[in-house]
Amino acid sequence: MSHTRGTFAALVDALVPETPDLADRGDEHVPGGLAVGLEEEIIDRVNNFQEADGALAAAGYDATPMAPAVAVLLDTAAAELLVRRRSADGFNSPAEAFAGGPFSRLSRQDRLRALRLLEDEGVFPRLADRFDSAALGTIQFLASSLPILVEFVYYSEATADDGEERSLGWQQADYPGPSDGYAVGMGYEVEEFEENDY
Amino acid sequence: MYERDTDVVVVGAGGDGPALAWRLGQLGIDVTILEAGPFYGNEKWEAPNDAPGGERSGDPSDLSGELYDEQFTSKEGDMNDPVTGKLRWGPADSDRPPWQRTVPQQALISQLSGVGGTTQHYYANHPRAFVTSVEDQPHWPIDYEELVPYYQLLEETHPVEPAPTTPKAEVFFEGARRAGYGLNDGYNVTESGYRPFPNAIPQPDERLMRDGGEEGDVGGNNTSEYRYPDYEGDTLAMHEHQGGPHPRDAPMRERARRSSNVSLVPRALDTGHVEIRPNAFATAILTEGGAAEEATGVEFRDTWAGTTERIHADVVVLAAGCIETPRLWLNSGLPDNGWVGRGLTTHHFDFVAGTFDPDTLEALIGQRAVEPHQGQAAGSRVDVPGKGGIAVNTFAPGITAMAMYAAAQGEWAFDRDTAGEPWDTAGRLAGRQLKEQMADYRRTLTLICHTDDRPRKENGVSIDETTEDEHGPVPLVEWEAHPEDDARRDDLARRAAEILEEAGAEHVHRTDAAPILLHMQSSMAMGKVLDTGCEAMDVSRLFVADHSALSNGVGGANPTHSGQALALRTAEAVADRYFDGVEDPIGSV
Repeated sequence: MSHTRGTFAALVDALVPETPDLADRGDEHVPGGLAVGLEEEIIDRVNNFQEADGALAAAGYDATPMAPAVAVLLDTAAAELLVRRRSADGFNSPAEAFAGGPFSRLSRQDRLRALRLLEDEGVFPRLADRFDSAALGTIQFLASSLPILVEFVYYSEATADDGEERSLGWQQADYPGPSDGYAVGMGYEVEEFEENDY
Repeated sequence: MYERDTDVVVVGAGGDGPALAWRLGQLGIDVTILEAGPFYGNEKWEAPNDAPGGERSGDPSDLSGELYDEQFTSKEGDMNDPVTGKLRWGPADSDRPPWQRTVPQQALISQLSGVGGTTQHYYANHPRAFVTSVEDQPHWPIDYEELVPYYQLLEETHPVEPAPTTPKAEVFFEGARRAGYGLNDGYNVTESGYRPFPNAIPQPDERLMRDGGEEGDVGGNNTSEYRYPDYEGDTLAMHEHQGGPHPRDAPMRERARRSSNVSLVPRALDTGHVEIRPNAFATAILTEGGAAEEATGVEFRDTWAGTTERIHADVVVLAAGCIETPRLWLNSGLPDNGWVGRGLTTHHFDFVAGTFDPDTLEALIGQRAVEPHQGQAAGSRVDVPGKGGIAVNTFAPGITAMAMYAAAQGEWAFDRDTAGEPWDTAGRLAGRQLKEQMADYRRTLTLICHTDDRPRKENGVSIDETTEDEHGPVPLVEWEAHPEDDARRDDLARRAAEILEEAGAEHVHRTDAAPILLHMQSSMAMGKVLDTGCEAMDVSRLFVADHSALSNGVGGANPTHSGQALALRTAEAVADRYFDGVEDPIGSV
């Protein structure tokens, strides 16, 4: 398992974890993102997020593989969280699916607090502010895109296996999938709008 | 270099460009529209994401409902994934990443390339501007009544009709009534009140009424039955965000959700004077004349071949949207009076969700779930002139998780104290909290708040000179809420929570959304950069016909109706100033 994959696994696990406590709502509510390989889906997207430039583009690549850099950023944020004593739970032994870096060693909630340092309040946003640097500021954008991507992809159909009608996320939301229509009209509160005075 | 001539070249086949092109075509003026993204539902591009396909389309018989059905699968991952989806801001070629913008902050930009632009995923909400936003705010150099004839034409054309009541709308209406709102039943909004959304969605067949419908199946999912030609108009399938391709099997122009590629593009092509060139990214506005600058054409790049071409024209119209229109202007070295790209408004969105107990719903609407995935995506609203609007906004689960629970700012929900607030939880959800909330998806009603945020010079689009893509330096987008806009949004969120509470919600969640750049207005505003005919003050023969030309955020009303109305008016200004005039104008320019 690479550092990148293990770090993204720790991120996915913080956002959509396995939840044994939800078994009373049905067994389908127990598994989380790692059960459907969500970390790979997210790595693919992060690696296809930004156009290649310079030597990479000249070599024929379409995109800059950003996932390893993002994994390092998450570790940096974890280090900042610890140094600034903002961690509520301290270091833990990382789960087997995770990398050995500091981000993977934080509790689930601390991982999300670390992510937040990249978006706001942490050293990167402060430097971006101090030097009025848009390039540094894009780290804030990138960091805040991560939970958006993870939660969107998890609850979309993207993690369904070939031939499987509904993904785990759609099952957990009890969403039946696309439809051609529903007979749910209840009449009209207004039949026609008036050209009223103004 | 390949070069050619036409009367008018339009940059962008989004929500508004096709409205202008349609009107110019009616007046016998030849128009070429350059569109950066793909053209879905067109026989010239049978596999638009895999191969270059044809070059241009000017014949309405090129439009293909069959291809539209094949391409628009209604699946949210396939259609809406911001990186890999068919509906994204990026090139047609699905092997390539999205196009880059520099955004140095927490934010989400939800804008699309392709014929139809962002209307490809819009909810067809067509309210007029709030009267007070045009008449009383200091931004507009024209009166509200000057927009009305153009609104009326669009309302008849699309058509724009009151959305039907559905169970989720009735929950909202009842909450609004109990909270003291009266019914607004006019097009012109001057007072607070609730109403069905004026939507560019033809009303559904009577057989789709829940009670007395021929199936008699409450909320039934009759997947293979509600198809054209047996059913015309809306089928209440709630796939607007996924491209709104219903009713299935219909010709393109009979699809119910009237995005510009469905409603206005076919009409523009019908005139015989309009052609669309997709996969064509404009990189420079061509000018001559030195101090008295005059636009003469556009240089663009074929996104598949990488070749550069030019179109020379008597008039150039920018309709590339609030980000790319100023980017193109600035990258072309045109004069900047200090307001180019500035004054961007975004409606400073927020979301509030209410989760209901099945018994409460049974008593209220006769069914035990809200069923957000049934009925129009956004069919009911409350207007609060001066503050903005609150509307039911429902999504498939992935987009629900993204918009409602992931795209927030500030502390995570688990670190927030909501004591004394009208919501039980607030902020971003993760972990068990997220999974529990999503497990209640079908019992949850989600509302959006559209704030009447005001144009401010510090918000907008400039150029990131340090980052260049194949189309030149990329746009730098910055938007932060002013405290007054935050206060308006907070007021709307409290009203939304009250409506849900009054309807009987057992749990209320406020998102506290990070900036979401979906509704964008006023970055090239009339009165600042443009004159009252939407011609550039500093460059003649150069017009703007997209939402950037709006003078402000139209009060928080969804902007498409105003953008298209203004584009029609601008078409008449173009004809009046540079061609043979307008014999029978819609309004007065």
